[in-house]
Amino acid sequence: MSEKSKWPQGKTCAVVVTVNFDAESVDLHEAKPDNLYGKYSYGRYGMRAGVWRLLDVLKGQGTKATFFVPALDAENNRAAVEAILKDGHEIGARGYAFEDHSKLKDQQRATLERAHHALTKITGIAPVGWRAPFGLLTRDTLGQLADLGYLYDSSFQDDDYPYVVECAPGKRIVELPTFEALTDATFYNPRHSHVRLLKVWKEEFDAMYEAGHCVNLTLHPRGDYGSGRAARARAVDEFLNYVKRHPGVHFATCRELAQWWREAHPATEPVGANLAPFDAELARG
Amino acid sequence: MQGKYRWPDGVRCVVTLTVDFDGPSHETGRQLAPLGVNSHGRYAGRRGVYRYLDLFEKHGIPGTFYVPGYDAECYPEVVKDIHRRGFEVGAHGYLHESWDVGADEEMLLRKSDKILTDLLGTRPLGWRSPSGRKSGVTVRVLKDLGYIYDSSDKDYDLPYVVRVDGKPVEGMMELPSSAFSLDDFPFYKYSMTPPSEVLAHWQQEFDTLYNENGYFMLMVHPRSGWGSGTPARARIMEDMIRYIKGHAGVRFFTVGGLARWCLDNRQHFD
Repeated sequence: MSEKSKWPQGKTCAVVVTVNFDAESVDLHEAKPDNLYGKYSYGRYGMRAGVWRLLDVLKGQGTKATFFVPALDAENNRAAVEAILKDGHEIGARGYAFEDHSKLKDQQRATLERAHHALTKITGIAPVGWRAPFGLLTRDTLGQLADLGYLYDSSFQDDDYPYVVECAPGKRIVELPTFEALTDATFYNPRHSHVRLLKVWKEEFDAMYEAGHCVNLTLHPRGDYGSGRAARARAVDEFLNYVKRHPGVHFATCRELAQWWREAHPATEPVGANLAPFDAELARG
Repeated sequence: MQGKYRWPDGVRCVVTLTVDFDGPSHETGRQLAPLGVNSHGRYAGRRGVYRYLDLFEKHGIPGTFYVPGYDAECYPEVVKDIHRRGFEVGAHGYLHESWDVGADEEMLLRKSDKILTDLLGTRPLGWRSPSGRKSGVTVRVLKDLGYIYDSSDKDYDLPYVVRVDGKPVEGMMELPSSAFSLDDFPFYKYSMTPPSEVLAHWQQEFDTLYNENGYFMLMVHPRSGWGSGTPARARIMEDMIRYIKGHAGVRFFTVGGLARWCLDNRQHFD
């Protein structure tokens, strides 16, 4: 099933390592600020312990990652944000307070802008990438992001390769699809072990490597469904070691890969391709 | 158990590999926009279906694709390609209705039938219920549409002639399936089983059914997420095909082809 290489220098496959920063902004969907204790402190675990462990793993591997950071969490955890930047990783946007963007209606643009400006102010760099909190967005979101100068989105789970969406004539955004099976939360939310996660990840990687696809690994520093705990950070390290034993893997940040893809594979498709029946169905109620 | 079974033509074991398209219909039916985390069905239309067409062609085996009407509207060319490349397209609801459709059942069966028939220029031979729900109405409508089989029931290991009120419905076979053991969905949605272990599980299922001279019907979904559209999971399907082919006396069928073969050998299937 292997096709001709789609990657720089004829590399075999591409790997992006992404970290959804998701700290207290997630817990605040269920708890009041006064209640961020006990079961609502797993987000804080990610900030006190998890993110530092993941940074250590990435440093040890010499791998540059992309962190998608809710702006509120950046405001409340500046040391972690500084450490991410200092280590040379990319920071992308992920809502202001981890909003469900599919429900924001006419507030969506204001929320995207608020998050964008808050994150820019803290990091000193305007983010060019975005990942939907909860994975939820509307068909307008990509066009709004393009208006704000974004280069890419990484929220869909519908392809083996990046692809370029034309939101309006001349207004383009790259999609970097993700994979449920290459996301730590898929295993840890339903309480599966890191042993099981690692076995699945290796098998998934083997097949994607052979096919020459884009591997989009998604981690969280959280203590509940994330990879911040020591044994889980070690599983991430072991997985990256496994990946690196394969020749011809192209590691990149999301920004680098999206930039490269847009130049090398400029073909576009319309936003919301194949959504006409969906509109008809919604109109029927 | 029923012990050894006898098939016509000296066949020892019958195999059908089935692919339930299950594209964006799943999410749209639940009023979710098929975007972002809800875009697994789009993977089926963009990548997964073609991966299975290529795989079946590579191994020279037949296969049946069950297509919700809505997905045929979203991806008409993909569904036409399934048909053009010689594989069976069966009906599978309109919006993959996984709820009690009540009085709408007949309307939905006819609507999906019309979409597929208009698109392909030929009528489906059979139907598989999305989510496995059926009623007393179903078989009457399927029969009226000219279908020769249903593949929704979970009540036996072998094909049989459909019965309503204790009487056989001549010309209508039931090709039963198992959404608990011979389906990808439970492993990739609930137990997060590594594909290699799913393969071992299916191989043991096959071994035991082969020993009974039985019937092996596998169901997979070409979507991402809990489906088998992605490479590691498609790969174990290929391993499974090789494994099955290593056994003597196996015959691969489309489900429609199997139903016809059974009807042609009616005396075997009471």
